[in-house]
Amino acid sequence: MSVARRAFIQMSVGATVGILFTPTVWTALDDVSIWTQNWPWIPTLKYGETASVPTVSKMCESGCAVKVRTVAGTAFGTEGNVDNPLSGGGICPLCANGVQTMYSPNRIKAPMLAGKEISWDEARTVVAEKLAAAGSKVAVISGDQTGTINEVFSALLASKGSDAFYAMPCEMQAADKAWTGLMGGSGQVGYDLENADAVLLAGADALESWGPTVANLKAFAANKSGKFIFAGPVQTRTAAVTSKWVPVPTEGMAAFTLGICYYVMQAGKSVPAADFEQFKAMVMSGYTPAKVEAATGVKADVMADVAKTLLAANNPVVVPAGSVAGAAAAFALNLLLGGAMTVLPEFGKAVDGAMSRSDMLQKDILQGVDADVLFIYEANPMYALPEQIKAGFTVAFDSLNTETTAAADLVLPTPHSFERFEDLASPYGVAAASYSLGAPISKPTVNAMSAGDFVLGLADLGFETFEEVVDAKVAAIGADKDELVGGAAYVLEETPDMSGVTLAASVLGKAAVPVKGTGAVALAPYTLLNVGTANQATTPNAPCTISNNQLIGDSMVVMMASVTAKKLGVGVGSKVKLSGGSGDCEALVQIYEGVLPGVVAAPLGMGHTVGDEFSKGKGDNVYKILTVSSEAATGTSTWAGSTVNVAKI
Amino acid sequence: MQTKEFKIKWGMVIDIDKCTGCGACMVGCQVENNIAPMTKKDPYNYVQALTTDRDDAANKLRTLTWLTVYELSNGKTFPEHEVAYLPRPCMQCGNPACVPVCPVIATDKNEEGGIVSQIYPRCIGCRYCMAACPYHARYFNWWDPLWPEGMDKGLCPNASPRPRGVVEKCSFCHSRYLKAKDKVRAEGGDPMNLPDGAYTTACADICPTKAITFGDLNNPEHKVHDLAKSKNAFRLLEKLGLAPQVYYMSEREWVRKQGDNYNGNGGHGAPATNHG
Amino acid sequence: MDSKLFPEGTQRCSFGQFLIWLAVILGFFGWGLYAAVLVLYNGIGTTGLDNYFGFGAWITFDLAVIALGAGAFFTGLLKYILKIKQLEKIINLTVIVGFICYSGAMLVLTLDIGQPGRAWFGYWHPNVHSMLTEVIFCITCYCTVLIIEFVPLVLEQKQLNKIPFIHALAHNMHINMALFAGLGAFLSTFHQGSLGGMYGVLIGRPYAFREGFFIWPWTFFLFVLSAVGSGPVFTVLVATFMEKLTGKKLVDFKTKALMGKIAGSMLCVYMFFKILDTWAWATGYLPSVGLTFDQMFYGVAYGKWLMWAELGLCGVVPAIMLVTPSIRNNPALLYTAALLDCFGICINRYVFTVQTIAFPAMPFDSWQVYYPNWVEYASSIMIVAYGFLVLSLSYRYLPVFPLETKLNYQSGE
Repeated sequence: MSVARRAFIQMSVGATVGILFTPTVWTALDDVSIWTQNWPWIPTLKYGETASVPTVSKMCESGCAVKVRTVAGTAFGTEGNVDNPLSGGGICPLCANGVQTMYSPNRIKAPMLAGKEISWDEARTVVAEKLAAAGSKVAVISGDQTGTINEVFSALLASKGSDAFYAMPCEMQAADKAWTGLMGGSGQVGYDLENADAVLLAGADALESWGPTVANLKAFAANKSGKFIFAGPVQTRTAAVTSKWVPVPTEGMAAFTLGICYYVMQAGKSVPAADFEQFKAMVMSGYTPAKVEAATGVKADVMADVAKTLLAANNPVVVPAGSVAGAAAAFALNLLLGGAMTVLPEFGKAVDGAMSRSDMLQKDILQGVDADVLFIYEANPMYALPEQIKAGFTVAFDSLNTETTAAADLVLPTPHSFERFEDLASPYGVAAASYSLGAPISKPTVNAMSAGDFVLGLADLGFETFEEVVDAKVAAIGADKDELVGGAAYVLEETPDMSGVTLAASVLGKAAVPVKGTGAVALAPYTLLNVGTANQATTPNAPCTISNNQLIGDSMVVMMASVTAKKLGVGVGSKVKLSGGSGDCEALVQIYEGVLPGVVAAPLGMGHTVGDEFSKGKGDNVYKILTVSSEAATGTSTWAGSTVNVAKI
Repeated sequence: MQTKEFKIKWGMVIDIDKCTGCGACMVGCQVENNIAPMTKKDPYNYVQALTTDRDDAANKLRTLTWLTVYELSNGKTFPEHEVAYLPRPCMQCGNPACVPVCPVIATDKNEEGGIVSQIYPRCIGCRYCMAACPYHARYFNWWDPLWPEGMDKGLCPNASPRPRGVVEKCSFCHSRYLKAKDKVRAEGGDPMNLPDGAYTTACADICPTKAITFGDLNNPEHKVHDLAKSKNAFRLLEKLGLAPQVYYMSEREWVRKQGDNYNGNGGHGAPATNHG
Repeated sequence: MDSKLFPEGTQRCSFGQFLIWLAVILGFFGWGLYAAVLVLYNGIGTTGLDNYFGFGAWITFDLAVIALGAGAFFTGLLKYILKIKQLEKIINLTVIVGFICYSGAMLVLTLDIGQPGRAWFGYWHPNVHSMLTEVIFCITCYCTVLIIEFVPLVLEQKQLNKIPFIHALAHNMHINMALFAGLGAFLSTFHQGSLGGMYGVLIGRPYAFREGFFIWPWTFFLFVLSAVGSGPVFTVLVATFMEKLTGKKLVDFKTKALMGKIAGSMLCVYMFFKILDTWAWATGYLPSVGLTFDQMFYGVAYGKWLMWAELGLCGVVPAIMLVTPSIRNNPALLYTAALLDCFGICINRYVFTVQTIAFPAMPFDSWQVYYPNWVEYASSIMIVAYGFLVLSLSYRYLPVFPLETKLNYQSGE
């Protein structure tokens, strides 16, 4: 017995020691450490030569001049294009995620008719039949503000005898209606933010979402004066870096601007415009500082102070946002100041029969669209303004699934910006006319077709492919295609004739009167590019950049000053229902003292019902609670002056 | 506890007066360093169904944001309120709190320009370094990095994806440093004396206002050398003595004051600020 | 049924009753095991931990049980090295409690690290400057020592001990136990200290950072003192709990009171230095880095009440109670003091683990509150269940309490 036991123990000890002398244990440990870093589901990297290919990205409203970074020919990221005045090396958070969006599983994979996959030939047949039946009852909604693709679409409309070209509501539209509509100007207004020595951003959140954001930011950084003033109801990201924030309610912006005109004219400034005296009389009687103060709540000495800053500058500029009246007032002020507002000529057309940019901006989508056949190009009206859209047959072109493609009868996948010829002509707000072009960097990963190619196959517009259209555009501009594709922008420093411009005195006097809804508090919607725009939902890497002031969990956050919260009986974290317009939104309350009392600030671009998990079900859709009102005097629609009722839930 | 000094000291000077908090730097950082978008479902893990979903980016305390933008408030009420945005990469401290505490030498500060490295295959995931870092610059990989289907095709060649269970952090885009040195070497230059701009980080590159300036703090020919010494420059938590290689600057006194604690009124009266 | 396995001269409940008891314990254990499997399979994301709270319930639990398990090394030290004979009446229990606490802590640590497969890197790539390396070394070595200390007790099991070889082995191990007790005392002192040192060295965490002596911050010594000031009475509490549960007298009150006296003396020393340390921290260190005492506290989870409870009600009060013979010799008051003492040490470990990292060092950052989730609770409860299991089996089959027969069966019956 005892011997056997001893033998057993000896064997156990011997075996233990013996095993330690073999590589078994050590190899196993080594294997474990290797194993802990090589899991099959963790992707491995592709290595090879890296390159940066210039092109343009259309994810933000104005578009960014980017370079797509590739490794062994595969795109993996974006960076700014130093050679392009729109970038200077930087890009916006949306376009920074461009490549990831290109690879997104949310891409539309193939043409879909009523939810069923069809071929491109079938798609063309269907659309051709519908078009033939529709006659002139054809309309287009374009989400692109700067591309030559709009010429193709507008020429198609013209060939059908329709002028129903709609842009999504945008700042460019308000500015155009003020400048070419009310004031009789021509061309496109621009702002030389880099060389101005005093900048009043009258509502324009220019350093976050307004206009050519990246170009604005670049100009801001390069501007030596450092005198930027932001006026608006919310201390936005822009106001975080401007030297001053002047709290002004949205609907009072035009009156505020005229209040400054008062001081400027008092200082003796004038314009050789036909209606200058009328304008002066209108302002001096209707928009005295006291009256403006009474109407907007902005103190007279604050306006005097802003006016003083602008008057002291050699090259001041005022940048409006929002309503047509506000834009007209700002243009009038700019004309009085004679500073850094510029006017850009429009580049020559590529397609005969296409509309000019100004013509494309004439139709007011907020007043409704009704057509037998409606083409929607890379826009998401079913998300932003679903009630305005009525159509017998809707054809949606887009690269990603959206509310609009989900509701469309026929969905046609477009290649991503980086997979097609894409151009970008003078986004609204830039100081000088510029044209940028990008050639496809990779083949589409899905069964997509350029919208231009598809439309050119529907009607004889003189071109077979969209690339030919682009060539014609380049020729019309007088630029060099190779240089453009190589990343250089074509810049035209030329100013159209400004004689004959009036100050729209008769209209402005009435239009600038603040009109506000009847809700308990004013609504100040704002756009952050990391959240997205009306047409582009939040991108894959952006959610973690969205702060707790916009989104907590899946709930949208609205911000208000503590006095407003007290008045409404809510506090930090209160769950509230905002009702206004034709719907309501749910949100959590955050106290942010950078909001004008009596105003609640809410982020636009959330609450998608279609799309990927980065945007779907995240927050609520503020477009639902915007009130469309008609600016009586200018005959245009506006969201300014929206109010909401706030109920604790 | 002494500040480690090296011949080359890569650093940043971030001008808060130019930062709008747009988030482009954070997106650029994630793309450069292959940080996967956060998704709730794990298609490879059948046991996940037994418990809660993975976190999506809504949980700001679980995100992997090597660079994160903080919102600063002067704590006053309307209309005296002011706001500022502060991007916070890893401070690459001269006297890092995280390096000496690591039990397995998975992190080091060395001759690579004083960049605090993180050796992912060695990290055991004890998170002691995270507890040590007052800047919250270190992040734990709570979940496996999974890209939505198809998105793993376009990964950046500069950083291998890390498995779950390790701590990760900003490396000043270290691969870019290696590449910059290789390039200069190939061109016959001195890799120990890179020209200003030859090596920059993804965030500095992408920033539309160029609020982030990157360079060698020890090299008088680099812009950061002088910027770091300007009168408005400051470092976060200077008093704790971690000697960060990241500097900030702002003309606003209240912003500078929030860079460190000052007895009693160190900014704690400010309402809850938000990160992310 | 299994009565042949019982310790000499003792009675135990019926096997059926015992099985029911085990089933209850295993129920809890199984729940925790499920949580543990989730953690290992799905990762630590399943817990309530986050980037602000890399340390949470688990580390607090670990530190607390390790402090409370300190009864083993300190009693061992007193018994084997300083030859305090009286303590042999409870020494077996201190060893078992110590073993449970340390092996349990190691199990939790395996769950807590993100890459359990790399746990051995602490030996392979050690960073000698890290307090945690010291902890890894000492905790694994000391756990081995505790196993060695536990083994003779197992070998003394009635049936096993009949085997001559095992009898001889157990005897020999007993003879040499002083060596292990000494080694254990050394290892345990160091790593109790290193655990404190872990927090004291955090230069970026003003709540925990302390100056110190040579490479050791003051927290190093304070953690050692607080462990020896509470470990012995924790063992007393465990013994008393077992007495209530079994309805038997297991340890004479004299021994318990002696343990109380030992802990009380150490607690007095600890409290003296702890209060001094807190004072120096609040009036010296904090102002030097621009902070105030008030800024260190927030809300309920990190309120000042915790500090006052730790230092006052659960610090000074039990210290006085334990060193005052008249109070100490009253069983109810002894147990109350022991409970307060143990609570105080748990609070200390909690605030050093959680409040340290909750304090927003950057002035523009904000306090976050950490809530452990069920996964962390369940896996911690698993360790408690494991402790119950080991104690139940030990009590039933091993001669843990030398006085049991004398106290229960020989007094006049």
